[in-house]
Amino acid sequence: MASETGESIRPGRAYIPWDDLPVKRETVAGIGTVLPVVVLYLLIAVLPVAFAFWASLHEIHTLNPEWQWAGLANYREVLNISTFWGSLWRGIVYMVGSTLLQLGVGLWMALVLNRITRGQKLLTAVVFTAYLIPTIIVSLVALRVFDPAGGVFQMIGSDWLGLWGGREAPLGSRDWAMRLLILIGTWKFAVFVTIFTLAQLRAIPDRFYEAAKVCGANRWQMFRDITLPRLMGIVTVVVLLRSVFMFNKFDIIWQLTEGGPGNATTTLPVLAYKTVYTDQAYGLANAIAVVMFLFLLASAIIYFQLFNPSEEVETTT
Amino acid sequence: MSQSEPPGGVFGLSYDGETRVIEALKLVSTGIIVLVGAWPIYWMTQLAFTEYETVEDAVTVFPAPDIFTLDNFNVLTEPEMYTYMFNTVVVAIGTIVTVVLVSLLAGYGLARLDFPQKENFARVLLIGYLFSPIVIGIPLYQIWQNIGLLGTRFGLIIALSAISMPFAVWLMWKYIMTIPEAHEEAAWVDGASRWRGFRDVVVPQCRPAIIAAALFAFALAWNDFTFAQILLPQTDTTTFAPGILRAMGQAQFLPQAYLMAISLAMTLPPLLFAYFMQSYLLKGFQVRAL
Repeated sequence: MASETGESIRPGRAYIPWDDLPVKRETVAGIGTVLPVVVLYLLIAVLPVAFAFWASLHEIHTLNPEWQWAGLANYREVLNISTFWGSLWRGIVYMVGSTLLQLGVGLWMALVLNRITRGQKLLTAVVFTAYLIPTIIVSLVALRVFDPAGGVFQMIGSDWLGLWGGREAPLGSRDWAMRLLILIGTWKFAVFVTIFTLAQLRAIPDRFYEAAKVCGANRWQMFRDITLPRLMGIVTVVVLLRSVFMFNKFDIIWQLTEGGPGNATTTLPVLAYKTVYTDQAYGLANAIAVVMFLFLLASAIIYFQLFNPSEEVETTT
Repeated sequence: MSQSEPPGGVFGLSYDGETRVIEALKLVSTGIIVLVGAWPIYWMTQLAFTEYETVEDAVTVFPAPDIFTLDNFNVLTEPEMYTYMFNTVVVAIGTIVTVVLVSLLAGYGLARLDFPQKENFARVLLIGYLFSPIVIGIPLYQIWQNIGLLGTRFGLIIALSAISMPFAVWLMWKYIMTIPEAHEEAAWVDGASRWRGFRDVVVPQCRPAIIAAALFAFALAWNDFTFAQILLPQTDTTTFAPGILRAMGQAQFLPQAYLMAISLAMTLPPLLFAYFMQSYLLKGFQVRAL
């Protein structure tokens, strides 16, 4: 990238004798440009995780500033409470279910949006809006339409399809709460897949398809040999991101069900939040947070070993 | 060659037959997307314009003239709701500005300047994706309390900026790599400093990436519930999402029609953004960054 002559052209100022210093001017400038990122990162990522780890070794009542050293007792407690394993399992169900559904729906929407000619801009805007509107609004609308009193989806489900009883709230039912959470989440978050895929599809030049047509390829061959390879890189990245995001999802679950009924939709983030504010056990909650982080880290490392999305990112600038 | 004889399709159809099948599939798909995508927004809109007594006890599909009303929007001027929305706007703008400035600078540094460990630095940034807002939020509550940022909009802006940072930095980095360095060299030859070259040559060309990063930061800030819920415990500085949930918990009677009116007001900015910015957005994401 830097050409041979680049060094000599590069601007410099005379009053600082850069040539005599042990560091190069460019190194200083380069580190300077990323300094704000480093500061923010230390403050928001490294410091809290270190703090969480330290707090997880103590017995702390949420509203009480007294910390009592507890060693690994919190971790023993975390691994022994049955709600932890149940929440982990529900979290995995939610993560895998949501990611697969979102991937399918997202890819399909991108392929359709890329092909339609009339009203494309308007339809794309409507689809993108789902991702941009606040989660709380998606939740409010969902709570409304699944409300037993005057909710239109509740009515369709009970009167037309017989999925649940007439006075029953589907979001408060053990059978339906998790499935509906996955469906409602998909409505909002599948668009994330669509945005990335659509950007990739737009970047494929038409002449590729024209050339393939001249060479006698059919639609499936074109899709398999031109479209799919272009999408694979972004799909591996998107799957990783979506799984992580869905595993970590707290807001939409809390807003729709608060983890209920019973513990039917309590995933690990919800369990951690409940532990802080309902059980007032700040140390234990931090132990849950640390375990969650370690679990994700391990999964991400395995995923990177299997698919190596970073290589995909690096080789395709 | 096969020009005169179009190749056969997957199901033994001719090329033209296949085209017709695909057209039909496309039409059906478009119909489903319109229905499923636009329907909740339509439903919200029509409930917002319906008298709230009606909303509570019957399913209405259109707001007919006798139940049509604009009164529901009066709730927007209530001091509480106004505060929530104002705070959300402040936080969103603050986050966008911070993210764009910091990521532009870092993206330029990563793309153009040579310094030790820069590739590893970018990789480590990606680990940031693994932190759940809840994992960060719970300890951050104590940290912010100790340094006095708890309950301030500024504290929330910092937290949200840091969360959208890894993505924005990668986006800028990869985007600036696609701009030929010769453009800057030309400016340097004319006597411009590196800063001027960055400001006058690189930044204007980064517009799609800036808009993509800004939209991403906007979506994050506009969406945020978890951080605001934990970091803004007082009502007067809180943003829309936790505020409305608390208001619903406290008020015995917050009519659904009012909620839908508020929701509609909060949906319009994203809808306008999505309509007018989509080509920039997609262009910004075409770089295969993360």
